[in-house]
Amino acid sequence: MSTIKEYLTADHSRCDEFFAMMEDKANTSLADAKEAYEEFAQATERHFQMEERVMFAEFETKTGMTEGPTAMMRHEHVQMRSLVKQMGEALEANNKDKFFGLSETLMILMQQHNMKEEQMLYTMAQQHLSAESPRIVDMMESMIVE
Amino acid sequence: MELNGLSIDQAPPISAPLRFYLTAPIFAIIAGFLILFSDAATLMSRYSLDSIVITHALTIGFLGFIMLGSLTQMLPVLAGVRIPRVDLVTKISYIFLVIGTAFMLFGLLNDVALSNTVALVLLSTGFTMIITVIAMAIVKVQNFNPTVKAMSVSLLFASLTVLMGLFLLYTYIDIDFAPYRNMVANVHSVWGVFGFAGILIIGVTFQVLPMFYVAPRFKQFCKKRVVLLISLGLLIWLYTNVYEEAYAIIGKAWIALFFWAFATTMWRKLSARRRPISDVTVWYWRVASISLTLGSFLWIFDEYFKNEYIVMVAILLGGGFILSIMIGMLYKIIPFLVWFHLNAMGYMTIPTMNEMIDKKLARAQFVLFIASLIGFIFAFYIPVLLTISAISFIISMVILQYNVVAPVLIYRKVKKTKPDFDMSAFTIN
Repeated sequence: MSTIKEYLTADHSRCDEFFAMMEDKANTSLADAKEAYEEFAQATERHFQMEERVMFAEFETKTGMTEGPTAMMRHEHVQMRSLVKQMGEALEANNKDKFFGLSETLMILMQQHNMKEEQMLYTMAQQHLSAESPRIVDMMESMIVE
Repeated sequence: MELNGLSIDQAPPISAPLRFYLTAPIFAIIAGFLILFSDAATLMSRYSLDSIVITHALTIGFLGFIMLGSLTQMLPVLAGVRIPRVDLVTKISYIFLVIGTAFMLFGLLNDVALSNTVALVLLSTGFTMIITVIAMAIVKVQNFNPTVKAMSVSLLFASLTVLMGLFLLYTYIDIDFAPYRNMVANVHSVWGVFGFAGILIIGVTFQVLPMFYVAPRFKQFCKKRVVLLISLGLLIWLYTNVYEEAYAIIGKAWIALFFWAFATTMWRKLSARRRPISDVTVWYWRVASISLTLGSFLWIFDEYFKNEYIVMVAILLGGGFILSIMIGMLYKIIPFLVWFHLNAMGYMTIPTMNEMIDKKLARAQFVLFIASLIGFIFAFYIPVLLTISAISFIISMVILQYNVVAPVLIYRKVKKTKPDFDMSAFTIN
């Protein structure tokens, strides 16, 4: 069983893959990219919820820090959700410039967000939650997206 | 563990990196005019005052400013540490460095000891302040990743390069020390180019290529060893250069080969990138890779030609490699910072990164810049090319100035007109 850090870091890479596939498809034709977009949007939403509903919640309960790093990460999730949503609208409107403008912005936001999580938050979470790690990974794995 | 980097409130205010970024093109424009009013014969000698002044308008005013601005911005994100009093320190050191550089350029060009003395005081204070606070942040880092390690090593070389630079400036005030000038200048320039700029670029590339272009990550060997090996090369080169000059080629070849390997890796990672987009920043990375390769080999080759080609090496490495990467990064970083800070304030309907800089103008800037580099290289053989290349360079830098200011104007406008303040996005459905 992987640790919280390994599990969520691997999931970042998974989302990156979906992102690259979506851009690849969109570069050929926006109309063909809808499926890839849905896959990416779902993978990302699932990742956010695994953090917000499971890992962040456990971390906040354990450390009592609700206004700390998790609040910042939640805030960035909101920013990213908004961009993902706007990308879907650009796809519907068949606006390629808009779509790639948004995807470019999302890419950088996402990568620096992931970097902060992987460098700091996951490391902290692993320290504080090491005993519960298998249970938390299990919960994230079996979570149903709302 | 330090968590301040995670919060927008603790991250440096947008003005901290921006003031350095927005000033950089002005110094490049000044350098362009200095080239325009100089002549090819004078510029063919690296030790002519014209060459020294032009080089420093670019290395301090352009490259140094962008690198310092980037360090203040990137350290908190990459390492989660806060730079103490970042706003105040960057503000004061910025003023000192701008005025100090101006006094230095003027003092050297016109041989005014008083101006050089003022420059010495301002530059030493400005550099010491900013390097000290960055170093204070670095010592607090707990998770040293390869990029942060490279930044630390680069900062060490930066400090040594600055120290040597200050000594060199002093030799123009007290000419008793002038005999040491060329030897120190040689170390100063090689450590500045490869140790400060080169190592910093390598470290940042590890992060930036996968991050901006979804390029494959660099191999662990590359990330863990290259900086160490290059630093070792720089020490070997120093030793051989000073004590065993006949063997100086070994140190040179060592450094050049690792940089060439890096250039090749960079090229291959870019080719294997997952993002299909090919914008002007990708072209800049390509040019950087080619220039670094040519420059590294020419640097070795130059050893056998009594340093006849050293100015060409400087154009390739300073202009083709370092400047290209810096300009390419400005095109990504400034729009992102503007978007990020506006978004964090709650503005949701703002232009995307791609809409902030006119693509056609960015392309024009690129073409003029590359044309000027090629012109400068061939001005070596055809002196009349110098004037037209200098003009091309000046125009490209004026466009660059416009391109980097444009997103900041959008930032101001949005903050002033407050088009929306959409809190609905903050409710999770």
